[in-house]
Amino acid sequence: MTAKRMIALVAAVALLGLGLAAVNGWAISLGDVLKVGGVALLVSQYDDQIDSFITSALGEREAAAKGATKVVPILSLGGGGYVGAAQVVGSPENVSRVKAVVQVEGRFGSGRAQLLVPTTIDKAAGTPDRAKGVGVSAVIEFQI
Amino acid sequence: MRRRLRVPIVMALGLLVALAAAAAFSGAEVSFRSAERDGARVAEVLIGERPVIVLRTSAAGYTPLERAEIVANRLRTAMASEIQVDDVKVGSVPSGQGLYIRDQLVVAVYQTEAEAHGATPAALAGLWRDNILLALGHEVPEESAPPAAETAPQEGAEEGPEEGAEAAPPTAQEVPEGGAAEEAAAAAEMEAEPEEVDWTGTAQKWVPIFSLEREGARVGMAQVAGPTDQIDQVKGVYQLRLDFKSIGRVYAYVPVSTISTKLNRVQGVSVWALADIKVLGF
Repeated sequence: MTAKRMIALVAAVALLGLGLAAVNGWAISLGDVLKVGGVALLVSQYDDQIDSFITSALGEREAAAKGATKVVPILSLGGGGYVGAAQVVGSPENVSRVKAVVQVEGRFGSGRAQLLVPTTIDKAAGTPDRAKGVGVSAVIEFQI
Repeated sequence: MRRRLRVPIVMALGLLVALAAAAAFSGAEVSFRSAERDGARVAEVLIGERPVIVLRTSAAGYTPLERAEIVANRLRTAMASEIQVDDVKVGSVPSGQGLYIRDQLVVAVYQTEAEAHGATPAALAGLWRDNILLALGHEVPEESAPPAAETAPQEGAEEGPEEGAEAAPPTAQEVPEGGAAEEAAAAAEMEAEPEEVDWTGTAQKWVPIFSLEREGARVGMAQVAGPTDQIDQVKGVYQLRLDFKSIGRVYAYVPVSTISTKLNRVQGVSVWALADIKVLGF
């Protein structure tokens, strides 16, 4: 009797999990979970270092942007997770409000298209609220 | 039919050779990283996979890692054109020695740094010079060549042979004075306040973007946005690929006003969208 109850409980939890995944349109894998968590950790850990690295690398080429810069995570619209980081540039007051860059990506054969929208929210829910006066100057892919 | 195909095939082969040559020349990348040696945290500057400079101490208010970043950037600039053996030289700077490439100071070697390596400033600067020459594929004069063990990653710049560094250091007159001041000025430059630029414009434009990577060549379009006057100046977007330590690959986008080897950045303009297609795979 106890064994039967245990099996029923496990099955119920599994079904509930699958149901939630289906409702949200998620394709869940352990790799995705680790990657999303890893990217979030890397961005929080290295954001300042990456920012100064890009700025000085461009500065050496006399191509640094004359504005405030900041490194924020990239959120994939639909996937709901962090997929990388972006350096945003703009006026200091606008840059300070940016929390993330929302990315909408499409692939067609060997081609790809990316829309990069700096936003003042850090969740990829609904329509992204574009941060005015801010644009993307660099994209960072983490090797996880 | 065959004759019709000959022209495009020859053009494609020519393009392939040119791109392969470009990829080969860009092979020796400069990077920097934090590392541990003998139980101590150090910063290494690498050409390709080879550590050429190891920094153990802070200077001018900068940590070893921050110094390594400055040095790596200077090396990148110097390596934009081919470096000959005679271009890399050791000279005096106030309170120490300096390693120069042409007339540009790459790194200043002070007494504290040299002591941390158990060497003199001249010996350490000489060892780093030889490491750079070896990493660039040059022959180092026999009398100044460091033993193989000293160029290995774990041994690095720890035991610079004094006789090697003293072999042919140029006199102070041969290189510019004021190396330390130059390094401090460069460091201060990194912290300089940015100029006021109008980033609030929303005029938009699609311009070509071109990138050459190890995986292949891609061409495409980038949507740039900014004030109308600046947008009118934009002729294209350059994509630069940089490696951040071993954990990240950075793609920097620079809107430019001219299509040339010099990056003439148009300020106040940023990238909003990208679309590209792979035209050639390596």
